Amino acid sequence: MIPEISWKNIWRNKTRSLIVITAVTLGIISGVLLVGIMQGWVEQRIHDAIHNEVSHVQIHNAEYYDNEDILSTIDSLNKIISVLESDPEVKAWTERTKLTAIATTPWASTGLFIYGINPQKEKEVSEIYTKIVPNGGEYPDINKTGYILISDKTAEILQLKQYIITEPLIEKFRESRLPDNIVIKLDSIKGIRFRSPKEFKAILEKKLNWKELDMYGKLIMDSALDYRIRNRIQITLSDCNGNPVQGTFRVCGIYKTTNTGFDQASAFVNINELAELYGSDTPLVHEIAIMLHNAENIDNVKNKLSTVTDKNIVHTWKELAPDAAMMNDFMYMYYFIFIGIIMLALAFGIINTMLMAILERTKELGMLMAIGMNRKRIFSMIMLETIFLTSAGAVAGMLAGWVLVSMLGKTGIHFSSWGEGFEAIGYSANVYPVVTFDFFIFVIAMVVFTAVLSSIWPARKALKLNPVETLRTE
Amino acid sequence: MKILELKNVNKIYDGSEVPVHAVRDVTLEFEEGEFAAIVGPSGSGKTTLLNLIGGLDMPTSGEIIIDGVNLAKLKPSQLIDFRLRNIGFVFQSYNLIPVLTARENVEFIMSLQKWPRKERDARTYELLKAVGLEERMNSRPSKLSGGQQQRVAVARALAPKPKFILADEPTANLDSKAASNLLEIMEKLNREEKITFIFSTHDPRVVKKARRVIALEDGRVFSDEKIQSVND
Repeated sequence: MIPEISWKNIWRNKTRSLIVITAVTLGIISGVLLVGIMQGWVEQRIHDAIHNEVSHVQIHNAEYYDNEDILSTIDSLNKIISVLESDPEVKAWTERTKLTAIATTPWASTGLFIYGINPQKEKEVSEIYTKIVPNGGEYPDINKTGYILISDKTAEILQLKQYIITEPLIEKFRESRLPDNIVIKLDSIKGIRFRSPKEFKAILEKKLNWKELDMYGKLIMDSALDYRIRNRIQITLSDCNGNPVQGTFRVCGIYKTTNTGFDQASAFVNINELAELYGSDTPLVHEIAIMLHNAENIDNVKNKLSTVTDKNIVHTWKELAPDAAMMNDFMYMYYFIFIGIIMLALAFGIINTMLMAILERTKELGMLMAIGMNRKRIFSMIMLETIFLTSAGAVAGMLAGWVLVSMLGKTGIHFSSWGEGFEAIGYSANVYPVVTFDFFIFVIAMVVFTAVLSSIWPARKALKLNPVETLRTE
Repeated sequence: MKILELKNVNKIYDGSEVPVHAVRDVTLEFEEGEFAAIVGPSGSGKTTLLNLIGGLDMPTSGEIIIDGVNLAKLKPSQLIDFRLRNIGFVFQSYNLIPVLTARENVEFIMSLQKWPRKERDARTYELLKAVGLEERMNSRPSKLSGGQQQRVAVARALAPKPKFILADEPTANLDSKAASNLLEIMEKLNREEKITFIFSTHDPRVVKKARRVIALEDGRVFSDEKIQSVND
């Protein structure tokens, strides 16, 4: 009967209880959303780090890892390949040549890593082939020679990303819902080539007012973007003897991941073509990237590969992308900090409400003690009241938070204004919030803990009551 | 059979500047089935004496023995449990649990004593019927009149079959009709259940119904009179 009384006691003062329940609900919703966004970012970062950048495991020659010398290729390559081929935990692997190079166009140049890849095998370990931007050409083909895949960022640096308002585009704008006055303004810059987004944005800012820019700026920028696919890029690198050599590649495609840093530093060509450029009959293998069926087995695979030779060095994704690994490892700490702060703030409201409830019921509590309700039962009754009060809000908050996160998990939250900043550190500007079952278990534990903690003071206050004195009061 | 014994009980309140001797050297015995009134003017020590008998307060000196158990020898937790199992309380201002219905209020002490559900239900119905409230068993106290609430309080006190019931001014807040109705019910239950009733009062209607009247003055027993009832 004690739980029944506790539950009914909550509803004695409906307004007061509903205020606390609403506060807990809103607190939990914000906690769920905040952690959902955080978790979404961490999962996106880990996924992108593994699938675009570093795979589950990578092998390098230990010397190459230190000095990136062209001749420091992977030791005992055949033995390693035979281990990889026979290991059921390995899902796919690919070998790469990785050299430092300078990419040059008539307008600019930049330093980058040029990867010699086998495009077919590469698709099994990397999702870069899915990151080709709209109207950005295509992924390299093993049968086509003389092509290079560069990133959107590299294209921008090398001024291969241009903006131009063409006559067909003006026609398209006219047919679309773009207001006539804007089309007229755009017509005035028709045919002019802008070699950087900054330059084009500057002219748009001059031509359009802030409201027009806010509403149609992105649409105009995206429509006017024109990558100079098939443009030539000159690649300069050192050959096997340390002499500089140059080769020319046509841009076959433009890719864009969520990590501008990686994009800026990475371009891809056919592994055999690159070998011809640096003067080797067979490709030099500096890096092997491996994907596993199950990332849980990563340490087993690392140990097996490490025993082949001590001249190579084997790294897991956690070592190659320590930022993502750290975020993953610290997730429980973030849960604790976010929910802990919210629950701490709520605890004061809960204590206040419970103290008021106790002070209003001193006579009744005195009567309960008089008729034989012992300290344990009085304490349980007040503790249960606090738990029910807090849990009602927590359950509502978790349900609402889960619905909200599920919806936002599908639509995503778009922080496009801060996109460049996020992508500079490897995070997508579009976050898809996600919450795990573990998190809800954690919230429940924290709610119960907070409720129990918040009930101690009011319960102690109740236990200090003297039945004789309380019954005397009118 | 003797169920309650007070031996030279004194209670002095030391809290204020001048100590108050609320109960002075009271020696009394109560038998099973008594219907006793403790009377006296305000401040004569009626409520203090009831609190001492009920184990809500401890005497400064003297002994209170209930069914052979000296209350002073019990630890606080044992005393609470002793009260739960042996003493029923009826308070002046009813003191029902407002969130529970009449039925649940009557059941409450039995549930604390872990009575089986079936027995609890039967006893609750029997008592609410005895106090004439079986039709209102699902009403909350706020929906009942003062007299009805006090009848529920009597049923609650009787429910777990205690050794005796202590009632502090049970009719003080009731009009004469409700008071007379309550007294009839208490008297009937006293006879049928053979449970001792000890109540404090200064209501002459209540005194008239009592079969023993203990008069207090300045904390002392001024007189202790057993009255031969017409029913006896």
